[in-house]
Amino acid sequence: MVVKLEKPVRPLLPKQSRYGPDPDHIKTRACDLENIVSLRVRELFRDIPENIYPSERGIKAVREATVDALANVDMSMIKPEDSVNILGSHHGFLLAGGEPYAEMLKAIKDVIAEKTGSENIRLKVGVGLRFRESDEYIRRFGLDEYFGKGKAKGVTPIDEGIPIETEIGTLYGIKKCYDADWIVHAHNSDVREIHFHRHVDRAVKPFGMSYARIETRSTYHHNLGPRGANFVARAIFNSEFVQNKWTFATFLKPTPAGIAGVDADNDLFALDERLTIDNFRYYGKILSLLSRIDECIVVLDFQAPIPYVFSAGMIFANLSASSVDIFDLDYPLPGYTWYTEAFYGKDDRPLIPDTPPVNPAIKAMVINYAWGGYPSVFWAKMIPTIVVGEHQADVFEKDPQNIEFMRHAVVAKDLQTAIEFAARIADTDKILIFDGAPGAINVSTPLAEELVEKTFEVNKAVEQKSMPKWCRQRGMKIGDKI
Amino acid sequence: MRVVNMYAEVNSEICTGCKICEKVCPTLSIKIFGEKKEKRAVVDLNTCAGCGACVERCDFEGAIALKTLEESKIIGVDPRLVDEKEIAELCFEAKIHPEQIVCFCTGTRADEVAAAILLGATSPEEISIKTGVRTGCKVECIEPILRLLKAAGIEPKPVEKGWQWYGITPTVWDISEEIIQKYSARGFYFDEDKALLKKLLDSAK
Repeated sequence: MVVKLEKPVRPLLPKQSRYGPDPDHIKTRACDLENIVSLRVRELFRDIPENIYPSERGIKAVREATVDALANVDMSMIKPEDSVNILGSHHGFLLAGGEPYAEMLKAIKDVIAEKTGSENIRLKVGVGLRFRESDEYIRRFGLDEYFGKGKAKGVTPIDEGIPIETEIGTLYGIKKCYDADWIVHAHNSDVREIHFHRHVDRAVKPFGMSYARIETRSTYHHNLGPRGANFVARAIFNSEFVQNKWTFATFLKPTPAGIAGVDADNDLFALDERLTIDNFRYYGKILSLLSRIDECIVVLDFQAPIPYVFSAGMIFANLSASSVDIFDLDYPLPGYTWYTEAFYGKDDRPLIPDTPPVNPAIKAMVINYAWGGYPSVFWAKMIPTIVVGEHQADVFEKDPQNIEFMRHAVVAKDLQTAIEFAARIADTDKILIFDGAPGAINVSTPLAEELVEKTFEVNKAVEQKSMPKWCRQRGMKIGDKI
Repeated sequence: MRVVNMYAEVNSEICTGCKICEKVCPTLSIKIFGEKKEKRAVVDLNTCAGCGACVERCDFEGAIALKTLEESKIIGVDPRLVDEKEIAELCFEAKIHPEQIVCFCTGTRADEVAAAILLGATSPEEISIKTGVRTGCKVECIEPILRLLKAAGIEPKPVEKGWQWYGITPTVWDISEEIIQKYSARGFYFDEDKALLKKLLDSAK
């Protein structure tokens, strides 16, 4: 197949955050290195749907898609005097610069107000492990003003909890998420942490994570096993407590190329099935392609913690986990997940022999720009790691989640030096950049050529072999959907 | 083991004594003292691990900040101080491999938590003070700690009016056969995961 190698697509400008270095320190971007080219994702996989954003229609396309998606959603349970909590997650703001998710949240509020007459609509946005992150986004996108004073708030898993009785026993939610008569689940369909949720009930996950207390999240990552983990989300969602407040879900629908639309449904499991098929097709192909890379140096260059920097819609953690097919449930452990990490002994070797390694194709990791706020020492132990500049090293040194990180990494003065050093360690000229470049993968020319060469075979293998298997494993009737 | 290189510092000009910091501190190192309008948070530097929970949840900008310690310190419990067999027995009772990591931020393993318990710790807070566990992200590691305490026959009570933790939750070993059968065809591979976890435990025996 013929795919044009284009000049690099520039990533978004660095953002000010308490979790990352001062953007003024980020002087050189990885895409500015010599011999870097861009592969347009839609050139590689031409069945990926057209974007509504970014597109010529601008942000209003997201509002229109949200209004359209909500047209047939039943909101009759909400009475004018009722209160409504729209529940969101920080992660939506990392997609396409964050504006589409913010616009979807604003549009949901407006549609609820118009259809139900309710004036008491609040926004509660959950977090990962950076407790102020959602508040930063709420301010950046003017959601505090849009929802009204005190009505848009970040919530965290260490906030006051509420017990929720489920079919497996007591789990715990964040009280502020449930302090309204009704809840609306406003999320996105990005695969993101597939190494954790394994795309089993992906749409339900925030009930066991963003909207959940530490006890529930700890249950997810320690108590239920690597393929059963996301059951905490289903257990909470199915509980009488949550169902008594449930209204509907609205999801932003990204693809590896941008934002393709908005979906909404009163039936969360029906929505989950739709987005699962789409994700297998689009993200499944991209990750299958990236996981066939023989060797590379990865460069992290984005305003997110190490696992969450992304390239062509896939986060770095996904690639590091892809020593096995992480969509395939026959593999108990991905190369990275917290169960996998927990199963490494004091000598940094697996405690059981069939633990898959971190993706051995990653020969070295250069961190030009990344945030703290996620325990990342494991990668530094497993992959030769070069951090660019003392300012970036300082982020890790002062991060309670990464105090030991710099014991396992070295500091280079600048990006060029780091790359040269990494190339000597890795003995490869193949570079894969995780900089969130919209709709594209920024790579060195030799890697671009390798990816183009492998795309046809990946496309065929995913369509004909992988997708039917992945669907079967999840009890999905594949029929004519594929 | 945990390197402590930061500590929380309160600006009493801004602090209102609202108590949120007290409710979220995993080592009970910050408490409110004073009467009415004079209420202020005070940090115990002997036990503060510099985890930042107070800083991250304070509603009053600038009231608490993390500062760098002039000299970092190390907290931890050496499992070699306790009989290896006792540690193993406690871990197996909790169905956790002794070398299994329970805290991804500090790298704390089950054997260190077990050693802390066997040396007298009776609550997650005491274990955090002794080992540093639960002072990184403050989110992911509470349940294996509660499981190890339960295995030792200890049922700690949550901190009164605190939000530190609420209670022990189910494990895959507690899920009924009926639920396993109900959901196994939907991609929840509980039986297969149990086999994996058993294999891990057996590798230590």
